[in-house]
Amino acid sequence: MSRANHTSTGRAGAWIGWAESAAVLAALVALWWLASHQQWVSKVFLPTPEATVRSLLDGLNLGTAPDAPRGELAGFTLSTVERMVLGWLLASLVGMALGALIGISATARAWIQPTLEFVRPLPASAVLPLAISLFGLSPSMVLSVVAFGAMWPVLLATVHGFAHVEPRLREVATALQMGRAAFIWKIGLPSAMPDILAGMRLSMTVSLIVSVVGEMIASQSGLGQAVLLAARSFRASELFAGIILLGLIGFASNALLALAERRLLRWQKP
Amino acid sequence: MARLFRWFQALAFPAVLIAALEWYTRGPGAGSEALAPPSLALKAFWSAIADGTLWQATAFTLGSAALGLLIGALLGLLLGIVLGLSPRAARMGFLSIEVLRPVPSVALIPLSLLVFGFGLRMEVAVVAFATFWPMLVLAQAAARQVEPRLLEVALALGLSPRERVTKIVIPAMAARLFVALRLGVAIALVVAVTVEIAANPNGMGYAIMIAQQSLDPALMLAWLFWIGVVGFLVNELAERAQAWVARRMGGVR
Amino acid sequence: MSLLRFDDVAIHLGGREILSPTRFEVSRGEFVCIIGPSGCGKTTLLRAAAGFVQPSAGAVLRHGKPITGPSREVAFVFQDYGRALLPWRTVEGNVSLALEAAGVPAAERPARIARVLQTVGLAQHAHKFPVQLSGGMQQRAQIARCLAQEPEVMMMDEPFGALDAMTRESLQDELSRLVQDSGLTVMFVTHDLEEAIYLGDRVIALRANPTPEHPSLAAMIDVPIPRPRDQLSTKEHPEFLRLRRELYQFLGHH
Repeated sequence: MSRANHTSTGRAGAWIGWAESAAVLAALVALWWLASHQQWVSKVFLPTPEATVRSLLDGLNLGTAPDAPRGELAGFTLSTVERMVLGWLLASLVGMALGALIGISATARAWIQPTLEFVRPLPASAVLPLAISLFGLSPSMVLSVVAFGAMWPVLLATVHGFAHVEPRLREVATALQMGRAAFIWKIGLPSAMPDILAGMRLSMTVSLIVSVVGEMIASQSGLGQAVLLAARSFRASELFAGIILLGLIGFASNALLALAERRLLRWQKP
Repeated sequence: MARLFRWFQALAFPAVLIAALEWYTRGPGAGSEALAPPSLALKAFWSAIADGTLWQATAFTLGSAALGLLIGALLGLLLGIVLGLSPRAARMGFLSIEVLRPVPSVALIPLSLLVFGFGLRMEVAVVAFATFWPMLVLAQAAARQVEPRLLEVALALGLSPRERVTKIVIPAMAARLFVALRLGVAIALVVAVTVEIAANPNGMGYAIMIAQQSLDPALMLAWLFWIGVVGFLVNELAERAQAWVARRMGGVR
Repeated sequence: MSLLRFDDVAIHLGGREILSPTRFEVSRGEFVCIIGPSGCGKTTLLRAAAGFVQPSAGAVLRHGKPITGPSREVAFVFQDYGRALLPWRTVEGNVSLALEAAGVPAAERPARIARVLQTVGLAQHAHKFPVQLSGGMQQRAQIARCLAQEPEVMMMDEPFGALDAMTRESLQDELSRLVQDSGLTVMFVTHDLEEAIYLGDRVIALRANPTPEHPSLAAMIDVPIPRPRDQLSTKEHPEFLRLRRELYQFLGHH
């Protein structure tokens, strides 16, 4: 293998790693700049980086032009985030509750788990048509599908977590004569927490996706609708601005959850 | 006997739900635009088979998912191996990957629509993007975790870099790769259907949207069920394949 | 009156008779060690005494009443301490679990936890997670939790089997001292003959694959070595050597 990079150890090594990484990213942006200005790809499809940034700033009302029309991106972003987070919270609560009830009883698992395994691969968005028929085109319709879709990863993870509680701990609970509620709260739930947290992260991803798709097809105010309209009107820079914002939402939500997960699972690392 | 009971156990709960739905839609919920009796859904299902629409739509979705997966997984695998074997490359690519990876694939649907218009290519592009990242991350992890002793053996035997990759790295990664592939298959199918629901007038996702718009709840229910079945079968297949590889190639460490 | 009585206790598992009808008594404050080769049912016997397993015949009586299930009066120390501690709670938290289960009011808990941690020598490590502790400390934490139950009897299933020799010896001495001070009744299963004689007031040897001519209970011998005992001189005591010779055969060596 290649000789060990002597600068890869220590603080200096870490800084160099970051610098190299940033350089590669900068190179990619430069490539983008070149491609758009040289028209290797049509401007209809690939806006220039500057145009994208301008659209982004204008959309967020951070632009410098005093007569620029009021940007609505901030509002759209908020709508999407609200939908995503609310749906995720609902999904997590219901998923954990149901998951605990099912997971803790081997009998319940035996009868219900096969059905859960069948529903698991179903795309959450496939439920949208049914929801539209039931609830019409409304924000609550989208929210209900988001919550429904996002519930499954948490539910399945909770069932798995409860099903795999260390048997020795079950014996300890029996020896201490803990009631069922005490067992769920003090042993089952903490024991299942690593699985549940992983499920909640997956849930957040589903939540974002369904929120965006829901906005697209139900014409609900949000980034999903915004990028769709931008594409339809051939406004590439606005399209890219919206994509960037969606990427940021994905990044931020995942980072926050990862942070929470690390804190809550501090007891795992040696 | 025990197997029969297990089948019964698996089907009892859904059977009860289906029966309840049948009762509801024939009684208090009759005439609903959203729900239809499962018996009528079954009829709609058979007609869709008979007139070929079922196969056509299914073939499109599966085809675009497979194609997208092929492209995305292959690229992800290649880049993942490079990054996994070279810590330097991994460090250099870190920021770029972290910036591009969080973009949800659905956000690219309008862009793909703009570039390719409706049809197969647009969907394949989105699926490829969606499957590229998990494959990259998992392949990188798998390559990094190849037993270092084996790499030393490769050096000692004087294998060329290409031989090292094909004879040592890839076989050592095989079990983990198939786990990643299994995940990729699931993602590919879900993304394909999602793209069809959101925008692309082709495939199973579009079929269910049309059913809803034509106020045909029986057909809608039939498609929902069929999408579930296809997803389930595809995942089962992928899981069997992965288990087979794990048995042959020594499992996941 | 005896604290525990094993009244012709027999246990069948998986169609086999693991333990043939066995009869003996344990008095309050006694330290009884159970030895035997693998498969002789010593762990199963202990679990039956703790109420985890119901005998197939006969009964285990505590204060004259048959044991029907686990009770807080009977504490159980598992061999695989790593799996018996809650990894997400600190040492303090783990000990607290026993008190919470017993319904001890929150205000009283810290004092009792501190006391018990002091007894096992973990007072300095109260805020550590199990994963940060060595094997010996983890086992002490488990013992601490059992002590917090303030049990009548403590069942110990090869508690030091997974530890290195030095840790084992120091824990043996700590356990002896602790039991002496508290007057706790202990049933201690081990495959280590010297450990059994060193710790016990009485040693019970069990046989594997019992038959009517050779029942499970092979021997029951008192250990008349005075206390306090120590690792060096006790093991050279003539009584120790005599018992060791006598009991050696029951470990399945031939």
